[in-house]
Amino acid sequence: MANAFAAAFEILSFGAIIVLIVLGLGIIASMMGIFNFAQGEFVLLGAYITYLAYAKGLPIWAGMVAAPFVVGALGFVLEALIIRRFYAAPIVAMLGTYALGLIIREVVRGLIGGFYLTVPEPIGGSIDIGTIHISAWRFTIIIITLLVMAGCYLLLSRTSFGLRMRATLENPSLARASGISTPLMYGATFAFGSALAGLAGALIVPVFSLYADLGLRFLIQGFVAVMVGGVGSFIGPVAGAGVIGTLSAALPWVMAPVVADILVFVLAIVFIKFRPQGLIAGRGV
Amino acid sequence: MLKSMSVVREAIADDEADDAMAERVAAGQAKEQVETGRRVLPIVEGVVLVAALFAPLVLQDYLTVFATRVIILALFALSFDLVWGYAGIMSFGQALFFGSAGYGVALLARDLDITNIFLVLPAGTIIGLTFALLLGGFLLLGRHPSSVIFVSLGTLTGSYAADRLARGWYYLGGQNGIPSIAPMTIGGYEFLEGPPFYYLVLGILVVVYLLCRFLVRSQFGLALAGLRENEQRIAFFGYKAQHLKAIIFAIGGAIAGLAGSLYAFHEGFVWPNMVGVVVSTQVVLYVLFGGSGTLIGAVIGTVIVEGVSFWLSDNYRDIWPIILGLLLLLVILFRPLGLISLVSGERERVGSFGAAAKETEKEKRNAAP
Repeated sequence: MANAFAAAFEILSFGAIIVLIVLGLGIIASMMGIFNFAQGEFVLLGAYITYLAYAKGLPIWAGMVAAPFVVGALGFVLEALIIRRFYAAPIVAMLGTYALGLIIREVVRGLIGGFYLTVPEPIGGSIDIGTIHISAWRFTIIIITLLVMAGCYLLLSRTSFGLRMRATLENPSLARASGISTPLMYGATFAFGSALAGLAGALIVPVFSLYADLGLRFLIQGFVAVMVGGVGSFIGPVAGAGVIGTLSAALPWVMAPVVADILVFVLAIVFIKFRPQGLIAGRGV
Repeated sequence: MLKSMSVVREAIADDEADDAMAERVAAGQAKEQVETGRRVLPIVEGVVLVAALFAPLVLQDYLTVFATRVIILALFALSFDLVWGYAGIMSFGQALFFGSAGYGVALLARDLDITNIFLVLPAGTIIGLTFALLLGGFLLLGRHPSSVIFVSLGTLTGSYAADRLARGWYYLGGQNGIPSIAPMTIGGYEFLEGPPFYYLVLGILVVVYLLCRFLVRSQFGLALAGLRENEQRIAFFGYKAQHLKAIIFAIGGAIAGLAGSLYAFHEGFVWPNMVGVVVSTQVVLYVLFGGSGTLIGAVIGTVIVEGVSFWLSDNYRDIWPIILGLLLLLVILFRPLGLISLVSGERERVGSFGAAAKETEKEKRNAAP
């Protein structure tokens, strides 16, 4: 019983991490039609900023709060300078963002060297429920993921900013005619997606430690999750991330990890092939 | 620039608007020799061939070994160029075919002691072809045409999964791969690194290059170029666009397999990166750099990227990948057709192949119902 609970917690916390990472990716893919290959590097940057704060002797919390804002600002600038030119051509956008990601990754690699740097958990220790111990930090990640998800949903569905954002992405010319500054909205959406990636990086760095290929590890999983969930809505990628995250954490408990690893991808690709619109079809929030 | 490009591309698909297109291209890219109709690519091809033929005579031994590797990678780049540059299929997993063939021949050499060149090279090619047929058939064919995004992410995922498999499977050597593969043999002769291996590889590259050149200048190649420019119109002409794509994908896989088996024997070992995302994206870099959609562009791109990285890696090892990323970004933004577009025009790239181009286009019109 205790074992089963521990396993369930493990699966849940990994699922939450994937959801957190996919949120930003999904918003950019769904709303802008761009598969951002640099998203993994935004995660890496978030992690790096947190590490930097820790290394400079600041509280880790400060780094975690700063990360989304810094990465979001960077995303805004990159969108205005580079990403903007790619909207017409999704494949070129992939290659361009890949190049961007390469630059960011190698710069960070140069800064940290080839090391694995650890950042301590801001909330250490464990929570004890009877005989079961669960990591307090992983539990916090689950809570924060839920809060961020709810926040994003409310932002997109209930605020006027969200409404303008959706209007821009659904029908740009009509949005412009209604007096919405569409370039600004594209910039804001991309910045928002990047900020989420930065936050994800900041939160997961105590769990995975910091190394240059940290982002790459999640990128492909993230893409697959977005495709499985369905591009075009907010909830689709989140659902996909939940499924992929849960599967990749749960399958190694029942079979050899190597097989499980690959089976997840194979299942996902086969699923997308026969249901290209994903788990949740349709546009909107 | 981008906008004028897209205008040009639309015009190309419209075969009535040839002259209008020439004018627009000339207006947009005045420096290029489009107006005169002079064809630059054959000259470039000749120069590259001559340079390659004489390279081992002037290069030191260790540089010849390096040059051999570059030529093998150029062969690999050619396979990606066929798939992306000609058919417009974004294969982010080309290393899957390259690496699986490499692993295949490494296993043949390790477990069955088969190193005869007439057995291992066809075996590698067939492995590449088979994997490409399976993956390409699955991703490209079917009732609903697959989206570009799905195909590119599907190939990427395939390559990533293969990487993980190779890392985790003890039989394939795990993280370390398969070391010290016996050299390739022909009769009693062993191909070791050096000029003979170089000329063998160069010969193979030239033969494959000529075959590809023949292929892309045929009806089939012209249909592919049309597919890349405007898939819908080609479908309306009555071509089975999905089948064309699957065929070229399989051919690309076969060439990648050939390159992969040569690479395995040349380096003497295979390791998981060879099937993975790293090598897959590397080949994308080569082709984008040199110029996709021209065969020679792929070769030149490989030579330049590998050459510069070899040259810089002594002194600037750490910042070289950053420079590479920046250059790639600049090329994508400002020279989407690659470095080759500095000397040759859009028209030469697209498909007015040779003097018989007009007839070919007429044939195409007649052939389509």
